[in-house]
Amino acid sequence: MTLLAWLLLATASIVLLALLMVAAGVFTWVERRVLGFLQERLGPNRVGPFGFLQWVADTVKLITKEDAAPAGADRAAYILAPAFAAIPMLTGFGVVAFGEGWAVADLDMGVVFVMGMLALTVYALVLGAWASRNRYAMLGGLRAAAQMLAYESFLGLSLMGVVLMAGSFRMSDIVAAQDGLWFILLQPLGAALFFTAGIAAAHRLPFDLQESENDIVAGFMTEYSGMSFALFFLGEYIAVMLVAALGTTLFLGGWYGPLLPGPIWFGLKVGLICLAFIWIRAALPRPRYDQLIGFAWKVALPLALLNLLVTGWIVVGRAG
Amino acid sequence: MDDLLREFLPILILTALAGGLGLVLMLSAIVIAVRNPDPEKVSAYECGFNAFDDARMKFEVRFYLVSILFIIFDLEVAFLFPWAVAFGEVSMTAFWSMMAFLGVLTVGFAYEWKKGALEWQ
Amino acid sequence: MSLDMMTGDVVQALRDRFGAGVVGAQPTGEAFPVLWLAPEIWVAAHRMLRDEIAQPFPLLADLWVIDETTRQGLEGQPASTLTLCSHLTSLARNADLRLKLATAGSAPSLVPVYANADWYEREAFDMFGMDFGRETRRILMPPTWDGHPLRKTHYARATERPPFVMTDAFFAAEERATPTDPAELGLPAIRDGEELMVLNFGPHHPSTHGVFRILLGLDGEEVVWAWPDIGYHHRGVEKMAERQTWHGFIPYTDRVDYLGGVMSELPYLMAVESLCGITVPPRAQMIRVMLCEFYRIMNHLLFYGTMAQDVGQMSPVFYMFTDREKGYDLIQTVTGARMHPAFFRIGGVAMDLPTGWETLVRDFLDWMPARLDDYERMVLNSRLFKARTVGVGAYDTATALNWGTTGPGLRATGCDWDLRKRRPYSGYEQFDFDVPTGTRGDCFDRTRVRADEMRESLKIIGQCLAHMPAGPVKADHPLTTPPPRKAMQRDIETLITHFLQMSWGTNVPRGEATGQVESHRGLSQYSLVSDGGAQSYRTRIRTPSFAHLQMLPTILPGMTVADLVAHVASLDFVMSDVDR
Repeated sequence: MTLLAWLLLATASIVLLALLMVAAGVFTWVERRVLGFLQERLGPNRVGPFGFLQWVADTVKLITKEDAAPAGADRAAYILAPAFAAIPMLTGFGVVAFGEGWAVADLDMGVVFVMGMLALTVYALVLGAWASRNRYAMLGGLRAAAQMLAYESFLGLSLMGVVLMAGSFRMSDIVAAQDGLWFILLQPLGAALFFTAGIAAAHRLPFDLQESENDIVAGFMTEYSGMSFALFFLGEYIAVMLVAALGTTLFLGGWYGPLLPGPIWFGLKVGLICLAFIWIRAALPRPRYDQLIGFAWKVALPLALLNLLVTGWIVVGRAG
Repeated sequence: MDDLLREFLPILILTALAGGLGLVLMLSAIVIAVRNPDPEKVSAYECGFNAFDDARMKFEVRFYLVSILFIIFDLEVAFLFPWAVAFGEVSMTAFWSMMAFLGVLTVGFAYEWKKGALEWQ
Repeated sequence: MSLDMMTGDVVQALRDRFGAGVVGAQPTGEAFPVLWLAPEIWVAAHRMLRDEIAQPFPLLADLWVIDETTRQGLEGQPASTLTLCSHLTSLARNADLRLKLATAGSAPSLVPVYANADWYEREAFDMFGMDFGRETRRILMPPTWDGHPLRKTHYARATERPPFVMTDAFFAAEERATPTDPAELGLPAIRDGEELMVLNFGPHHPSTHGVFRILLGLDGEEVVWAWPDIGYHHRGVEKMAERQTWHGFIPYTDRVDYLGGVMSELPYLMAVESLCGITVPPRAQMIRVMLCEFYRIMNHLLFYGTMAQDVGQMSPVFYMFTDREKGYDLIQTVTGARMHPAFFRIGGVAMDLPTGWETLVRDFLDWMPARLDDYERMVLNSRLFKARTVGVGAYDTATALNWGTTGPGLRATGCDWDLRKRRPYSGYEQFDFDVPTGTRGDCFDRTRVRADEMRESLKIIGQCLAHMPAGPVKADHPLTTPPPRKAMQRDIETLITHFLQMSWGTNVPRGEATGQVESHRGLSQYSLVSDGGAQSYRTRIRTPSFAHLQMLPTILPGMTVADLVAHVASLDFVMSDVDR
């Protein structure tokens, strides 16, 4: 490999990371403005035009804010946990194909890789909870573990139908297979299940039981402040975008769209899904922990299995 | 081996850079942020009281039941991955054997459901 | 119809059964009999009234103590240092009965008869040092407190003490003294071999609605036992009442339930006016009703929003604050203040309604119904909201009464007990409205009942708008405060009254009087004792919130932490109302 190739790769990675950081920042601003709009209030409107620079001010504040770790905390794990929440999410974006040939690494097992990265966050949550030595954190950590077990089981199954039809795990192959007809039309049940699991994977309301502020204060994050809190926060927002990117690739035809260039279409679709996530957050109450887990095992998992069987049947039938 | 490395190298670079970014953020906070500890501030949050005993506790046995169930299903998904990718090329025998495999799993799942392992309450 | 008629047979039955045990009947201006009992029959008489007569008295509305040591005009009363009073209510008879016990500092416990006597007796011990012959621990004051605050010998102001200095040693001692050891409270540490996790839920917790602490024993997320700890918001309002003029205490009542605005002024003033013999003119009465209903809506909106928020729905509370803002703008125009207007006066209200008030009220009445429909779709019809609330925290009417629950919490069980209907006060008999009830008595029904009550309140306000009588807004009576300015400038008699009232305070005639209203939370009752002075001799404030929290240890076990939050939210209490 030449030096030039190395440099190109490094530059692409740095650009991707910078874009993601900015996107996460802007996302927090958009979320607060949209929530404000939906809730008959203003939202941030003081820093910059329409409050757009609010996220910059927040970043500065979070960097300068005291990171007060509890005295009884397990230091190494306490510091490592937030990094575990953010870094895998950033890495997961490496395999996402934003346009034709627009990926840092278009792995042949791309979808599996993204799922793996998403699953890693549970370590961050449980580790952070355990390291904090706080009862509320502990309850949040246990919820995170049980919830991960529940939704992970049907997350994989729900997208298997798409993989069956595309015949590949490579993100660009899956998008290419949707030239003309998006998989959401062929796999509506699969898409619904995927986005349900996706909300849980990204720990968003109504499936944010591990930090449900009404009963367990802030769950696993209770003891976190300053930059280590910011990294958890960053991880959550990038996870939402990663789920949205995965959803766009699997069900919404990736970069396909008329007139505009591919990456723009991709970005628009991801943005739309993110807006839907915000809308859902504004609208729904939170189920109880046993209800969510019951739903995952007793409703979603059987449905995902059924979806896979029916899809397999049809694909075989058509081939035969 | 070389191909594999070539394919994964970009991801490795990206991971390293992301890790570096995390490190930079943490370090900058350590350098810049105020540090002013106080015994009340660094005590674990317990709604204004001192904690009773250690926060770490034993888990419910239900956790183990559900995690075993989860492992089974995750393995199943892992088996499904290659099958699904190669779906276009596999024979009818392969298709039916996978169906049989899923059927066995479903029976096991139904049994566990009936036994009440999924009742969290 | 006199309420006496409905209790005559009970008084006779008590006399027949206990003979000389019924020491005597105290003549008061109250609408119910007041009987003095002998200590030997104190518990037996209560048991008889609760369990052994037809149409019994299932509700112990209140239990409190009067320190008689410095009281003037005790002629005709049995000699007593501390008088224990209990106030019983019969729903079937729609009648009350007050029993008194003369003591020298110790009394038999009523806990075996009325479960909710527990906290009231702890309060009597805490405030007066009354000995009930059972293990009592302080309930409102810190365990380190010296003395019993409501005794006449106890100081009332910090200025009567040397300056207070917070030292590290004091801080450490206070922290040590807070009950944190479940074993000391007699709570188990282990269930079925499982070690329980002891969790401090509050006082600094987002969902305890104020500084309320519940000590929880958890097995996983399941609550095994719960031990509520109150008193963090205690300000000693009953003591303050003994140091303020009758008129000057009105603003304090606003702050007893800080979300109720004028609601708590009404029972207080009804009692004062009954002592003074003042009849409030119809216009003033209807202004009072209209404002009370506005505050009921303001409170229920806040409840509705936070209830939804406590099950994780973040938006409704913001919409409801828009409505509250509109309501408070209107209230501000009428009273000059928003949350604590101190608008009612002895004998009426502070001032007449402003010009153009009709338009404002009409706008509000046009605005609200569509919003309430929206909330119905958003919250009550939401399947997730139902999943979180239906069947959660359910109790039946008997349990509710046994624990002193009144208001929406009682009506959610299907019992249509509403004082505005049953014992109309301040002119409520003129209004046409319904009393919404539930069937299951769970969190959902409690939310439903309050949501429906807002529509009924709107109906009442609409009728106030249509039928507001003309006339004065303050009674023509020498004890009305402050006396009408015009009259004061004209005749010397009123000028003298005005001078005395402003410099010294209103002297309210000797006697005892009780004011009861159906507040937004339930039965709010002020029992006043005047010995003819410019200040109250004893002001007993019975708040609904205090009663509602007492049921928690019996109802919480078996719930998850998330259910507990929903249940606590559905009780709709305010800590200032609990702790006073």
